[in-house]
Amino acid sequence: MLLVLSDEYREHLVFLPKVEPAVVVEFGRIAVEFLKRGINPKIYEGAARKLNFPMETVQHGVEGLMFLLTESSKLMISELDFQDSVLVLGFSKELNQVLLQLYVDNRKEIRSILTQLAPCLPSYHNLEWRLDVQLARRSLRQQVVPMVTMRLLLATDGGNNTSRVLQTDPSTLLHLIATLETALAAMKTNHARRILRNIK
Amino acid sequence: MELSESVQKGLQSLADPSLFDLKSFAVLIDVAFRSLLSAHPGPSLLDQPELKSIDQILLKQCHAAATTYILEGVKQNADKSIISSCLEDVTFNVERIEIFYNSYQKYKEELEGFLASIGRSPPHINDVSWRLEYHMKNGHVHKVNEPCYLLSLNVENGGMGGSSEDINFSCTVEQLQDLVGKMKDAAKSLEKATQM
Repeated sequence: MLLVLSDEYREHLVFLPKVEPAVVVEFGRIAVEFLKRGINPKIYEGAARKLNFPMETVQHGVEGLMFLLTESSKLMISELDFQDSVLVLGFSKELNQVLLQLYVDNRKEIRSILTQLAPCLPSYHNLEWRLDVQLARRSLRQQVVPMVTMRLLLATDGGNNTSRVLQTDPSTLLHLIATLETALAAMKTNHARRILRNIK
Repeated sequence: MELSESVQKGLQSLADPSLFDLKSFAVLIDVAFRSLLSAHPGPSLLDQPELKSIDQILLKQCHAAATTYILEGVKQNADKSIISSCLEDVTFNVERIEIFYNSYQKYKEELEGFLASIGRSPPHINDVSWRLEYHMKNGHVHKVNEPCYLLSLNVENGGMGGSSEDINFSCTVEQLQDLVGKMKDAAKSLEKATQM
């Protein structure tokens, strides 16, 4: 699948062939750095001064490279498709190689950064459990009631962990285990296996 | 069992044959037990024909004393000897002790269940529902192609009539295996504990 690059986009990258490949490599590195850590405008100023280009051009160039990398990583296009897409920009062969290398080296990491943007429910982190026997309470003495107390740790967006303290009795615990085992067994059915195998 | 003064006074009145003959005593004791267990106790419960001739204020005091004593007894899991000695101290005769103890035995288990349900505790898990999904793509990343489980724990707060809540979370296949493994460890240790 080829990337569709708009005309405006091509305009932004038009100055790349005019500079040395080493500079393009540097821009590529800055683009990856910005993707990992966020944009730092001071770097644009420094680069613009060094290269004697207006700051806007430098900014467009770096942002163009960032877009190229994120779109390619999002769609997980093959190396061949990437090369064909970049061909459209009319860069030299050397430049294309540089960009391809940049893509291949960083795509895994960029994908994991993009995954953090996707909507996500709190996800399971850990379960701690404890077996208790309730002996008395304010309203009733001389009890013998077995209880399983559990702490469920969930990881939500933004890396915060929430923990919930929950309780259950032995028969419910066995019911939970049986239900979740049928859930795990659902993964092993022919139907699930067929889908997992064929949709790749 | 330690009883407050008002409860002792009420019980002493109950023991007095000049205030309560045997029949009205039996009726009041039965009413006391049933009023503790009924879902909507109302004043009509005390409107028994046998109790009409008794002074209403005295009736209320004795009813309150009886119910307090009953709850205290069930709470402490009192047996026949404790109840007998306690009622003897408030001048109950053997017949009345017998009537009281019969009703006590009859209703004790239900009252225990009722008392056990009062009070706070951590939210109690009742059920779990699950859903298996195959995550293909989302707005930010395509070609994800991973299976994923969505679990929903149905949890109840407090005792009777507590609100129920759903805790929703997702997990991968490995995480679900981890969760089930830990629950099985808990169940195994429960089994070992019962064999001790």
